[in-house]
Amino acid sequence: MTEINRLNLTAAKCRRNVLRMLEASGHGHMGGALSCIDIVTALYFYAMNICPEDPKKEDRDRFLLSAGHKCLAQYAVLAERGFFDKSILDTFGGLHTKIPGHPDMHKLPGVEANTGALGHGLAIACGMALSLRSDGKPSKVYVIMGDGELAEGSNWEAAAAAAHYGLDNLVVFVDFNGLQISGKVTEIMNYTPIADHFKAFGWATRDIDGNNMQEIVDTLDSLPLEKGKPNLIVAHTVKGKGISFEENKVSSHYWSPGEEELQRAIQEVEESIRQLEKICGEETI
Amino acid sequence: MNLIKKDPRKEFGSAVSELAEKDERIVILSADSGNSSGFKDFSIKHPDRYFEFGIMEQGVVGIASGMATTGKIPVFCAIAPFVTCRSYEMFRNDLGYMNQNVKIVGRNSGITYSELGATHHSLEDFAIMRMIPGTVVLAPQDPGEIRSAVKAMLEHQGPVYMRIGNSPIPQLWEEQKFEIGKGRILREGKDLTIISTGTTTLQALEAAELLDKQNVSAMVIGMPTVCPVDEELIIKAAQITGKLMTVEEHYQYGGLGTMVAEVCCREYPVPIKMHGIPKTYATSGPYDELLRYYRLDADGIADTALEFIKKFI
Repeated sequence: MTEINRLNLTAAKCRRNVLRMLEASGHGHMGGALSCIDIVTALYFYAMNICPEDPKKEDRDRFLLSAGHKCLAQYAVLAERGFFDKSILDTFGGLHTKIPGHPDMHKLPGVEANTGALGHGLAIACGMALSLRSDGKPSKVYVIMGDGELAEGSNWEAAAAAAHYGLDNLVVFVDFNGLQISGKVTEIMNYTPIADHFKAFGWATRDIDGNNMQEIVDTLDSLPLEKGKPNLIVAHTVKGKGISFEENKVSSHYWSPGEEELQRAIQEVEESIRQLEKICGEETI
Repeated sequence: MNLIKKDPRKEFGSAVSELAEKDERIVILSADSGNSSGFKDFSIKHPDRYFEFGIMEQGVVGIASGMATTGKIPVFCAIAPFVTCRSYEMFRNDLGYMNQNVKIVGRNSGITYSELGATHHSLEDFAIMRMIPGTVVLAPQDPGEIRSAVKAMLEHQGPVYMRIGNSPIPQLWEEQKFEIGKGRILREGKDLTIISTGTTTLQALEAAELLDKQNVSAMVIGMPTVCPVDEELIIKAAQITGKLMTVEEHYQYGGLGTMVAEVCCREYPVPIKMHGIPKTYATSGPYDELLRYYRLDADGIADTALEFIKKFI
């Protein structure tokens, strides 16, 4: 459990980083960032071959946040992992910030693609995975997609291509928090059961609790799910996870908290950090 | 002028293939379009560098971007409207904004797919592709220039859109080194300058001969780089002839003509006639007849030029 608790502690610290950015800007895509942040944490602190001191290292694994609006999660984790100084988090929303509302690879080390327009990341990742494999590189390409994003038809072009080329070095998490800006994903455009759609395209799939660190780690340990098939993990998550009064609410999608709400959220997250530090400290002893 | 005509697609495909023999970074992507783009031999010889994806232009542009991030130089050629309009956002974000070294080639451009109708015409590609920051837009004018433009395109670091036609075209001059961003005076003149790009340059040169018989001395500039356009040469032509006429197999506004006008209104204002196809869904029919209908054959260009300069007599 030590490893899992340590990762949970890191994820809690990353949640605090998210709130630090919201303190700076006053608003942002919080809900989806907090639903996927446990996965992003596990990728950068457990699974991926990356080097913060050498972010362009040739044999690195790649991470693409196809749902680029969840960038608060990416920035929070990159900062925690040491890709850039945490003081940059305080510039979120500011003029010329290195951490704009959707990630820009030219501004921030560790960002692999300029995502934000939905339905782009999977094809770019597919090209990366195909190229890396044809060069005999061991690198994996990890992607986080939104559930609402599945309605973009371009994804399905890439899904077909990934399966056609048997890209088992491509690992895609669909952050299935079930909510998008106008309401429930299943009511707006229903792509459930998500795994079945990808399975029909030739992917290997698995459903997990995407806020359960043990399940995330177990899944990362079992890649590829099937040799010769791209990997699709439907991560059942909670939008706004970690801020109890915003969990599973559409309002968390683009959150503009009042000062009192923000302080309450900070207190909750800091309390969870204290508890996890205590657990981890006790384990160390 | 050597009037033996060559298929622009084959010239393009063989030029890329030759360079790809020497540079393993070059990979060919196909949306069920490779064979028709002159890559059949390459696909057989180098199956490890030829990637077929089926008819998915949006997907292919995104995939090309991802491949380029690892150091590849992807070349993707298909029917012009499908690699420009259909996948525009992928070009804008995944190639332009990400500044990836990908070469997108629109073949059967303009109205060269004449009989297939407006869905297969490409009359706004200059206008939209030039608006993507950092993107080079090329329209070589004869088979030799296609070959030299391919070399320049592949040597250039960054996204490039090149358009080529469909119908066989003659060699207009000896093959020369292609310099991105440079046009060339093909014929001296003093009354008017015709600035042409791509497939219409042959007709522009023929039109200049017709004008000569009407005692109108027309300079002709070939402008195979549409973006960045050769500002210096445009200003020089404006200074020498005082009147400019642009000719392109494109909507008359938004393309080369608009770019020339932007330069002139800023640097050296002169009257400009923008000659191209009116903003409509072009009709269909045999290519030659379509060119005549839209006055893009030599007679049509010469007549348009005469009407233009008469305004100033």
